[in-house]
Amino acid sequence: MLYYLQDVIDGVLMGSIYGLLALGLTLIFGVLKVINFAHGSFLMLGMYVAYWTVSLTGLHPYLSLILVVPAMFLFGYGFQKALVQPIFKAESDVREPITVIIVTTGVWYILDNLALLLFGPDYRALTPNPLKGKMLELGEIFISLPKLYGCISALVTAGALTWFLRATRTGRAIRAVSLDREAASLMGISQWRIFAVAMGIGTSIAGISGVALTPFYNVYPTVGVPFDVKCFVIVVLGGLGSIPGAMLGGVIIGLVESLGPVFMTATWTEAIVYGLFLLFLFVKPSGLFGVKYDW
Amino acid sequence: MREGMFKSILGAALAIGLVASSLIPGAAFAADKVVKVGNLLPLSGPSASVGLQGKQAREMAVEEINAAGGIKSLGGAKMELLFADTKSDPNVGVTETERFINTEKVHVITGAWNSSVTYPTTAVAERYGVPYLVEVSVRDTITERGFKYVFRIAAKDSWWTRDQFAFLKDMEKEFGVKLATVAFVYENGDWGTGFAAQWKKLAEQAGLKVVLDEPYPSTATDLTPVVNKIRRANPDILLLTSNAADAILLTNSLAEYKVRPKAIIGSGGGHADPTFISGTGQNARFVFDIVEWETDVNKPGAKETNEKYKKLFGYNMTGEAVDAYVAMYALADALERAASTDPKKLRDAMAATKLSKGPASIIAYDSIEFDESGQNKNAALSIVQINDLGKGLERVTVWPKAARRAGYTPVFPMPQK
Amino acid sequence: MTPSRFKKILLILAVVLAFGLPLVLRSPTYLHILIMLFLFAYMTTTWNLVGGFAGVLPLGHSVFVGIGAYTSTMLWLQWGISPWIGMIVGGLIAAAVGTLIGLPTLKMRGAYFALATMAFVEGIRVMVENIDKLGPFVLNGPRGLNIPPLPEGSLAAFQFASKEPYYYIILIMLLLVVGLTWRISRSKMGYLLMAGGEEPDAAQALGVNVTRYKVMAMALSSFLTALAGTFIAQLTLFIYPKSVLTLDLSFELAFIALIGGRGSIAGPILGALLLRPVSEFSRIYLSATLPGLHLIILGAILILVMLYQPRGLQEPITRFFDRLAARFGNGNGGTEEKA
Repeated sequence: MLYYLQDVIDGVLMGSIYGLLALGLTLIFGVLKVINFAHGSFLMLGMYVAYWTVSLTGLHPYLSLILVVPAMFLFGYGFQKALVQPIFKAESDVREPITVIIVTTGVWYILDNLALLLFGPDYRALTPNPLKGKMLELGEIFISLPKLYGCISALVTAGALTWFLRATRTGRAIRAVSLDREAASLMGISQWRIFAVAMGIGTSIAGISGVALTPFYNVYPTVGVPFDVKCFVIVVLGGLGSIPGAMLGGVIIGLVESLGPVFMTATWTEAIVYGLFLLFLFVKPSGLFGVKYDW
Repeated sequence: MREGMFKSILGAALAIGLVASSLIPGAAFAADKVVKVGNLLPLSGPSASVGLQGKQAREMAVEEINAAGGIKSLGGAKMELLFADTKSDPNVGVTETERFINTEKVHVITGAWNSSVTYPTTAVAERYGVPYLVEVSVRDTITERGFKYVFRIAAKDSWWTRDQFAFLKDMEKEFGVKLATVAFVYENGDWGTGFAAQWKKLAEQAGLKVVLDEPYPSTATDLTPVVNKIRRANPDILLLTSNAADAILLTNSLAEYKVRPKAIIGSGGGHADPTFISGTGQNARFVFDIVEWETDVNKPGAKETNEKYKKLFGYNMTGEAVDAYVAMYALADALERAASTDPKKLRDAMAATKLSKGPASIIAYDSIEFDESGQNKNAALSIVQINDLGKGLERVTVWPKAARRAGYTPVFPMPQK
Repeated sequence: MTPSRFKKILLILAVVLAFGLPLVLRSPTYLHILIMLFLFAYMTTTWNLVGGFAGVLPLGHSVFVGIGAYTSTMLWLQWGISPWIGMIVGGLIAAAVGTLIGLPTLKMRGAYFALATMAFVEGIRVMVENIDKLGPFVLNGPRGLNIPPLPEGSLAAFQFASKEPYYYIILIMLLLVVGLTWRISRSKMGYLLMAGGEEPDAAQALGVNVTRYKVMAMALSSFLTALAGTFIAQLTLFIYPKSVLTLDLSFELAFIALIGGRGSIAGPILGALLLRPVSEFSRIYLSATLPGLHLIILGAILILVMLYQPRGLQEPITRFFDRLAARFGNGNGGTEEKA
C-alpha cells in the first residue's frame, strides 16, 4: 500500500510541473486560438536563462525568477508583435490561421538549434544547487524537495493567474478577447495588445516551469521536445483554454506515468498516455473543463 | 485548372535543370596528393555530443599524421577529413555514403557511431568496394555478413555483455559476496534491447534470477517510476544501458531514493559521456561502467595523448574518442603499407593490419588485428569504477585484475549508507 | 501560338526532360537526390489532398508511410508476397485507418485535428517499438526490419541493382498522382472540398455534407501515401519506427506543402523542388562545421515564407510564368485563354 502512496506522491509532484508548463500553452491557446509549437523551446530558453543566472551570480535557483519572468515576458511579447501579429493581420478573415502553427514551428527549430550552436550539446547541471537531491523522508516515503518546490510554484502560479484574469482590468480584457474578439474590440479593447500580453504571460509561465525544473533536471538544447508533446496531450485532456483543466490534466498524466509502470513496462505507459489522449479526443473533445467551442 | 498541372511540371523541369547544372562536379582535383577520408557521424540531434567527440579525436589524429609528413609511401600525401552529419538517421547515412563515394570520391569511409546507421552504410560501401573502417558501432551483425571491405576496431556487443558477467563472477569470488538476483533497465532502442537480449541468456547461464526486465523510452521526461520499480525489485545487480540524459536522471534518482544494489553496472554510452560525472556528482560514486579505454590505462603515450586532448577540447578522452583517434592511425598504417589508394590494395593492407606501435598503441590491449570477418580480434574491454580518491570523482580501472590501478581496491558491494 | 499552347509545349518538354535525365545524369548520388525529391513531391501531393483541399492541417501523415512500409515488408519477409501486392494491401489498410481517424476528427476544426493526427503517429510508433512479434509477423520493435538485398535485383521483388528503375517508378507515381489531383480538383468532390475548406459553415448551411467528402479525401490520401511507404522500404531496404513513423517526417511534408503553397497542384511539387535541395545541401556543407545551422535556415525560410508569401511560393512563380506565357504566346501579352 505504501508503494502506491509513493507512486501517487511522485506522480502528483511531477504532474503538477507538467501542468504548470501546460498552463502557459493553454492560456495562449485560449486567447489566440493557436497552438504554440515553440512552447517547449520557450521552456528550454527559460531553463538556460535560469542556468546562466545561477551559475554566473550564485543565486538560489528560485531567485533567478526575478530575471527569468520579465525576460521571458518580453521575449513572448516581442515574438507575438514581430512574427505572429503580422500573420493575424494578413489573414484576419481566418479564425485560426494554420500559418501561425508553422511559424511557431519555425521558431522552435531556430531556438533549439541556436542553443546547440551557442552552448553545444552538453547536458548541464545547475551549480551551485542547494536543492540538489534533497529528499524529505517520512519513514518509507520519500518526497523530492525540488519537485515539491516545483509543485508549490505550479499552484501559486495557477492561483495568481486565476486571480489576475478575474480581478484586474487587463485580465478581464484577456478573458473578453478569448470569448469574443469582435465584441471585445467593440468595447474598446485593443485585441493586438491583449494578444501580445497573453503571449508574454504564457511565455513567462514556460520560464517559471524552466526554473522549477532546473534544480533536478539537466539543461540541453532539445530538452523542450519531450515536454512539448506531453503538453499538447495535457491541454486537450483538460480542455483547450482551461486553467484548472491544464493543472488537472498534468496531474492525470503524471499519475498515469507513475502508476502505470507498476502494472507494465514504462514503454507501454507511454502508449497509454497517447491512448488516453485519443480517447478523449473522440469521446469528449472539449476535455475535462473545456468550453464547448465550435470545433 | 489546367494551368495548375502544367505549371507544376514546368516548374519541375526548370528546377531539375537548375539542380542538375549546379551538381556537375568541378574539375577533378589532383587527387594523388591527398587521401580523402569520409566520416559519417551524428553531429546534430540527440547523439550530437558523442558525434562531436568522434570528430575532434579524428581531427587531432590527422593533424598529427599530416604534421609528421603524411603518408610517406605516397610521396607525403596528406589525409583530408570530410564529415557528414547523419542525424542518427540510417536513410541520411545511406545518402551521405553514396555522396561520399560517387561525388566526393573518398578513398575510405569511417563511422558511423549509431549501429543502426553503420549497418546499412557498410552495405553500401561493400557494394561499391570502398573500404569502411567502423571505429565504434557495437552491433554484432555488422561484421557477420561476410563483407570484404568492412573492418571494425571496437569490441562487438556480445563481448561487452559477456565481460560484464565475467566481471561479476570475478567480483563474487574476490570478495566472497553471493549475487543471486539481477535487474535489467535499458533504453528502448536498438542498442538497449540488443544488450538486454544477451543479458537474459547470460543471466540464465550464470544461474541469476531476473527480478526486473524494464525497457524505458529514451525520451522519458521522468524516470522516478522506473527507479521505484527497481527499489521494489531490490536486485543484487543492476545492469543499465542508457544515453547521457537518462543515465544522469537514473543515477540521481537512484541515489535520492537510496536504492543501493550491490553493484550498478553501466554499458558505456551515457555512463561514459564526459557530462555524466558533472551531471551526477557524488551520486555516481561507486557505479561501475564497462569501457574500451580509460585515462589511467598503463600504456606508453596514453597520458600525454589524453593531456593534449583535454587541453584542446576540455574533457578526457572516452573509449569512443580513443577508437576514433586510433582508427586514423590504423588507416595511415594501412595506407603506408598499401602505397596506393586503390581500394582493393588498401583493403588488402587493412586486412593484414598488425598495429602495435606508435601513437595508436595507447589502446588498452596489445595490437589491432582483424580476423576473417573484419573484426578486431584483440579488442578488449575493461571495467572501471567511479570513485573519489580525494581529487574529485574519477574513473578507476578495476577489471581485468591485471589492469587494475595499482593500490586500488574496488568498493564492492556498494556501501549501504 | 496561344499562351495555352506555349504552356502545353513547355509541359511536354518538362516531362520529356524528366524522363531523359537519367541518360545524361549518370551519377547515382544525384539520381538518389532526385529520387528523394520526387518521393517528397509525391508524398506532399498526397498530403495536399487533405492538408490543402480539405483545409485542415494533418501532422501525422508518416503513420501512413509507416503502415505502407511495414505491411509490404512483413508480407515479403514472412510469406514472400511480392511488395507490389503488399503495396496495395498496405494502401488499403492505411485507407481504413485514415477513415477511422478522419471520421471523428474531421468534424472538428484546426487545432484538434492537427493534435489528433500527431498523437496518433506517436501512439503507433510507441506501440510498434513495444512489439517484437505480432501474430505470425516479426516486427522487431525498435530494431526494425531488414530486407535482405538481392544483388541482381528483381522486378517481382521490387529491388533493383541500379538507381534508374527507382527513378522511373517514383517519377511515374508522381505524374499519376498529380494527374489524379488535377482530375479531383476539377470534379464535384474537389469543388465541395475547397468550398468546405474555406467556408465550412456556408457549405454546411447549403446542405452539403462536407465532412463526408473530407473523410473520402482522407481515405484516398492515406491510401496513396502508404504506397510511398513501400517505395521507401524497397529503396532503403531497412525500416524502423524512428525512420518511417516519426513526427519529423510528418512535419516535413507539411512544411514542403506550406512553403510551396497548399491547396494548389503545383505547390507541393515546387515546395519539394525548392526545399529538398536547400536542406540537402545546407546539411552537407554546413552541419559538419556548424551543427544545427541547416535547421536554423529551414526555420528561417519557413517564417519568411509564412510572413511574406502565406499562400506559398507557387503564387509568385505562377504569376511569373503567366506573364512569360502571355509574352511568348501571342505577343500582345493580353488575353489569356482559360482551359
